[in-house]
Amino acid sequence: MKPIRIALTKGRLEEKSIEMFEALGYDCSEVRNKGRRLILPVKNANIEIVLAKAADVITYVENGVCDLGVVGKDTIMEAGGTFYEVADLGFGRCKFALALPTGVNFYEGYHTRCIASKYVNVARSYFEKKNMDVDIVKIEGSVELAPILGLSDAIVDIVETGTTLRENGLVVAEEICQVSARLIVNIASMKLRKTEINELITQIESFVQEQKERRKEKEAQKEAAAQ
Amino acid sequence: MKRYDKVTPEGTKDYLFDECNRRSTVTGVLKDIFKARGYQRVMTPAIEFYDVFGASAAYLPQENMYKFMDQKGRLLVLCPDGTIPIARLAATRLMNMELPLRLYYSHNVYRMANDLRGHSSEIYQCGVELIGSGSVRSDLEMIEMAASSLEAISAGGYRLEICHIGYFKALIDSLGTDEDTKEEIRHHIEQKNFASLNDVLEQFPDNKAANALRYLPRLFGGEEVFEQAYALFDDEAARESLDYLQNIYRCLQQLGLAEHVIIDLGLVNQAEYYTGIIFRGYFDEVGEPVLSGGRYDNLLSDFGAAQPAIGFAVHVDLASSVLEKRLPAVADVLVMAAADEYLVKAVLYGKQLIAKGQIVENCVLEEREAAIAYAARCGISQLHVIGKTTEMIDIEREC
Repeated sequence: MKPIRIALTKGRLEEKSIEMFEALGYDCSEVRNKGRRLILPVKNANIEIVLAKAADVITYVENGVCDLGVVGKDTIMEAGGTFYEVADLGFGRCKFALALPTGVNFYEGYHTRCIASKYVNVARSYFEKKNMDVDIVKIEGSVELAPILGLSDAIVDIVETGTTLRENGLVVAEEICQVSARLIVNIASMKLRKTEINELITQIESFVQEQKERRKEKEAQKEAAAQ
Repeated sequence: MKRYDKVTPEGTKDYLFDECNRRSTVTGVLKDIFKARGYQRVMTPAIEFYDVFGASAAYLPQENMYKFMDQKGRLLVLCPDGTIPIARLAATRLMNMELPLRLYYSHNVYRMANDLRGHSSEIYQCGVELIGSGSVRSDLEMIEMAASSLEAISAGGYRLEICHIGYFKALIDSLGTDEDTKEEIRHHIEQKNFASLNDVLEQFPDNKAANALRYLPRLFGGEEVFEQAYALFDDEAARESLDYLQNIYRCLQQLGLAEHVIIDLGLVNQAEYYTGIIFRGYFDEVGEPVLSGGRYDNLLSDFGAAQPAIGFAVHVDLASSVLEKRLPAVADVLVMAAADEYLVKAVLYGKQLIAKGQIVENCVLEEREAAIAYAARCGISQLHVIGKTTEMIDIEREC
C-alpha cells in the first residue's frame, strides 16, 4: 500500500506539528534530521512527511499528491481551495487584525483608504463586508513599514503578541478573526483511504482535546497561585 | 507591444497524440455505454447568452465565466456548464417530445481558473441527462450507469459515493434559523470543518437537529451509516430520505457494487441545486472527483417547464489520467515510389495495404537511402519501394 503522505508547513508551525506527531507515537527522527531531503519517511508507520511553504501545502493537498496537510487558517483564508478542513489543532494561535498608527481615527474623513497587506484576499473580503472601497497594496515583507513610510493608512496582518506593532508605533484597531493551525485532507483521499485517515484524525482529535484540557488546568493553577 | 503569438491562454493547453487518444478512448467508452441505454446525443453551442446561466449564479459565479458581446451588445459567455443548456433545450425545442428525454453530450465547458494551481479553464465533459421522470427507477438507472462508466474506464479501481440531500435539508429546516446561518452550516459540513461547525452550532444547545448536523460530516462509509443516521434524527422527512437512499443502496448491493459504493450524508455541495440523490465518483490516484451528478428537479422550472431531471458528467481529462500512457502508433510500412512515373502505382499499393488494416505512410523523400534512414529514425520496420517491381526492405536488417 502506498504510504499516506502528509504535508507540513515549514517555519512557524513546523516544530509544533512534529511535536504533535511524536506525541502520537510516530517516529519523526528522519524529519528532524532531514538535511536537504524533501520527502521524509516515518519509520514506524506507513506515512511520509513533506515539508513545504504554507500556500504550497494547500496546493499539494488540493491536487491529491499529498493526502493530508497541516497549515495555518490564515493561509486557508487567503488561498482558499477545495479540501476538507477536519481539525483545529489548537497551536499556532494568533489573530488577523487591522492595525494603524497610534492615535489615528481610521474612519475620519472621506478619502479612499489604502491598506497594505500580505493577505490581500483577507483584506479585500473584510472591507467588502463593511461595504468600503479601499485600495489594497500587496507587501511581501514587513508590512509595518508601509504606514510608517506613508504608503498606506493601515495594515491587515496576523498578530501574535503585538510587540512588533508597538515597536513601530502601530496599534490593533480591530480584530478580524482568530487563526490557528488546521488539519486538512484531500477530498478523494478521505473517501479512498477512509480507515487509515479516520484513525489518524481520531488520534489527532484526542491529542488536541488533551492539550486543551492541559491548558485549562495550567490556567486554573495559575489563577489559584495568583490568589 | 508584447505579442502572445506563441503561447496558449492560462488554463488551456494543446493536447497531443496519446493525450488525444486517451481522451477519445474515454469518450468512446462513455458514448457506447450511453448509446446502449437509449441515450441520444445533442450538441449545444460553445457560445451562449449570459442570461441562460444568470439564474445559477450561486454555483456558477459570474467572475468565472468568459464573457464577451455580440453585434447587438448582448452579453455572451463561453458555455460554463453542460447541464444548463440541456435544460434550456428540454424546455424549448424538445418540449413536445415523448418523455422521458434521454440525452448525452460530449464537449468542452469553460470556467476561468487562472489561479495557477494546476486547474484547467477548458474542461472536456461527457455527460447524460434523464429528463421527465422523478422516480426511483430513473435514479437507479442513472447511478448504475455512473458505476458502469467508472468501472469501464478504471477497470475496477473506483469508488462511487451517494447521498440524499433530503436528510440534510430535514435537519437544517428543523433548526429554524436564518438563511445565512444555514448556508454557513452547509459550507462547514461540505468542508468537513468540524471545528467551525461546532462553533456555529453552539448557539443551539440541546437541539437534536444541531446534534445530528454536528455529526453529519462523519456520516460516511458503508451500510452502518444508515443505522447511525436513523438514530441521530428521525423526523418524517429525514426518515423518508434515508429509506429512499437505503433502498437504492440495497439495489446497488444486489448488483454487486457494495465494495465500490460509499454513503456520504455530508455530501452537501450545491444543496440549492440538487433536490434528491447526489453522487460522485473517484478513481484511485486521482485527487479530485472524476464524475459528479444528481437529481435537480428545480432547474427546468427556471426555463418555464417544470420537469424532474437527473444526470451526471464525467471530467474526461481527469478520468483519462488513469489510462496507461501509450506511445502513439507508428506506421507499419513506408511506401515510396521509385520514380515519379510510379506515383499512382504507389498510391494504389498503399491503399491495398490500408485495406488489409495496416498503417501506411507515404514517403515524401526521393532517395532510397534517405528513406531507409528516415524509417530507421521513426521506427518504421518496413520500406516498400514501388517501381517496375516491388522491393520490400526490412529496415532492421538494412541498418
